[in-house]
Amino acid sequence: MPSENPISVVEDDESLRSALVGLIRSSGYTARGFASAEEYLAVQDGLCRCVITDIQMPGLSGIEMIARLRGMGYPVPVIMVTARTEPAIEAQAIAAGALCVLRKPFEAEALLDRLRGALGESAGSP
Amino acid sequence: MSDAAIGPDILDLLHESVISWDRAGRILSWNAASEELYGWPAEAALGRVAGTLLQTSHDRLLVEPDDELWRAERWEGELKRRTASGEERIVDVRWTTERDEAGKAWRTIETARDVTDRAAAEEALRLSEYRYRNMFEAMAVGFVEMDFTAVGAMLIPLREKGVTDLTAWLRARPGFVRKTMARAIVVDVNEKALQLFGGSTKSDMVGGGSGRYWPPTSEPVYIEALAATMEKKPHLVCETRMRRLDGSEFDTLFTVSWSAESRKRGVVLLAYVDVSERKQAEAALQQLRAEFAHAARISMLGELTASIAHELNQPLAAIATRGEASLRWLAADEPQLDEVRTLAAEIVADVRRAASIIDRVRSMAEPRPPQWAPLDLNVIVEEVLAFLRHELQAQSVSIERDLAEPLPLVLGDRTQLQQVIVNLAVNAVQAMSEAEAERRILRVGTRRTDNGSAMLVVEDEGPGLPGDASRLFDGFFSTKASGMGMGLPICRSILDAHGGDIEAGNRNSGVGARFTVTLPPAPDLIPRS
Repeated sequence: MPSENPISVVEDDESLRSALVGLIRSSGYTARGFASAEEYLAVQDGLCRCVITDIQMPGLSGIEMIARLRGMGYPVPVIMVTARTEPAIEAQAIAAGALCVLRKPFEAEALLDRLRGALGESAGSP
Repeated sequence: MSDAAIGPDILDLLHESVISWDRAGRILSWNAASEELYGWPAEAALGRVAGTLLQTSHDRLLVEPDDELWRAERWEGELKRRTASGEERIVDVRWTTERDEAGKAWRTIETARDVTDRAAAEEALRLSEYRYRNMFEAMAVGFVEMDFTAVGAMLIPLREKGVTDLTAWLRARPGFVRKTMARAIVVDVNEKALQLFGGSTKSDMVGGGSGRYWPPTSEPVYIEALAATMEKKPHLVCETRMRRLDGSEFDTLFTVSWSAESRKRGVVLLAYVDVSERKQAEAALQQLRAEFAHAARISMLGELTASIAHELNQPLAAIATRGEASLRWLAADEPQLDEVRTLAAEIVADVRRAASIIDRVRSMAEPRPPQWAPLDLNVIVEEVLAFLRHELQAQSVSIERDLAEPLPLVLGDRTQLQQVIVNLAVNAVQAMSEAEAERRILRVGTRRTDNGSAMLVVEDEGPGLPGDASRLFDGFFSTKASGMGMGLPICRSILDAHGGDIEAGNRNSGVGARFTVTLPPAPDLIPRS
């Protein structure tokens, strides 16, 4: 049953953003895409159930975005995806408050698993 | 009627000198013109032996003209004489023998005209012609004399028809141009020209038209030469490619010239200096430069591997994600074929995007000879910034652009110019790696210089350059921990090949380095109809 509250996808690459939004919808959720951290922060209203975000973006990075969210008092779970390969990045992201970090290109199943985990649903449900 | 009746008065009215002498050579009569010509009054001349008084000499003397004369009754020729004041005069004379009733020759009458000036001019011309011929035959420059009268006849009417730009008119009419070549006839060639064009005797070339010597690629030079000749702009010099008698081609320095004299006869002189060896050396150098530049590009791509991989990952991730989504839609209780159709189309688009990234990398990586085209530096700057987008993001470098419009087009090889700008940008990024993120600003600017060239400036906020910045362009000098330091020398080499320049210095504000590239504007393109 699709929930009213959407999953937010923050990704500056247009093609990947639309692919992610499409994937999440195909799993039965509502999803909205944002081209930058700034764009998301401008509209975020505390209702979003989960944020999937890239780390490296022009302007605010994904990690900086989490810091802002936490600073504003929003505990929304954040899943990070990145093409960066340095191990330090993962540690940084977790330290900032990310739930997990997935490397691109990622297995869609792995992403959806993490998403369900973030939403508190059991694994394997549609 | 005796000639006494005609009388000395008539003789004194003549312009010509008229004198007469007897068998012994003693002067019998001497008119006023003779006084004027030789400076001797009649009283001083009468009775004197003519040849002695006038110090007559004759260049082509084989026999005493008197002997010939007494036999032949008449003689004409040129004699050298001296006046009373010792000046030399050339006179054109005609002698007639008079015979008495018994048939015995008793008197010679001479009429003479002073042709000293004309003779001097003829002598000078003969000498000049002699010198010219010597040079023509002997020089190590190939000379070809062409008769252009028929071509002139084809071209002169055009001006009357209102054609003002002969060059453009001819460029639009290749058939006409070939006809003029056929009508430009070889009048003479020297040994060197025969050698250059591969002939064995002069008759191989003389008498024929000139079309066979001009390959189609050299027609623009021929047209320039025609226009210069018609417009009387002497001493056109340029490099071109000519065709030998056997059809092979050679590179030569080519010049057209003429003298006022030869022009009147419709004759022009073409000179050829073989520059094949020099061209070969230039080509070898060009090849070496291209290989060097290629090696540098490979090395640079190596440094950018992470960012290139990142850039490729985006479309790959999108493709994988969409593929998964498609499977989900297909696995649903009611398969959503419309969604799958959309996703499939999006996947194709993603694949194309990945392919173009790979293309861009490949064109940087592959060895290719330079391909020259008119380019807009602003466009190349944007291409480079797109190429480096991920690298710049990874290093948290922000970009400030100040690109002037319009910018003069430059003639160059796109990949090589991209290489230069990538090199400068990557250097700038590396220079700023120690600075705080907010301070990492890469500034790229373009503008038109006062003399019409295109200028590109790349600035960073790094530590700046050491005092002697010129060493940066020497090989193997680098302030970086890694790399061979060949990037900037190769940039200079590329700029040299483009007729441009690159300079290194520090920014006026004192913080960071500044690299300035200048390139000459592309020559105006010639529209071809």
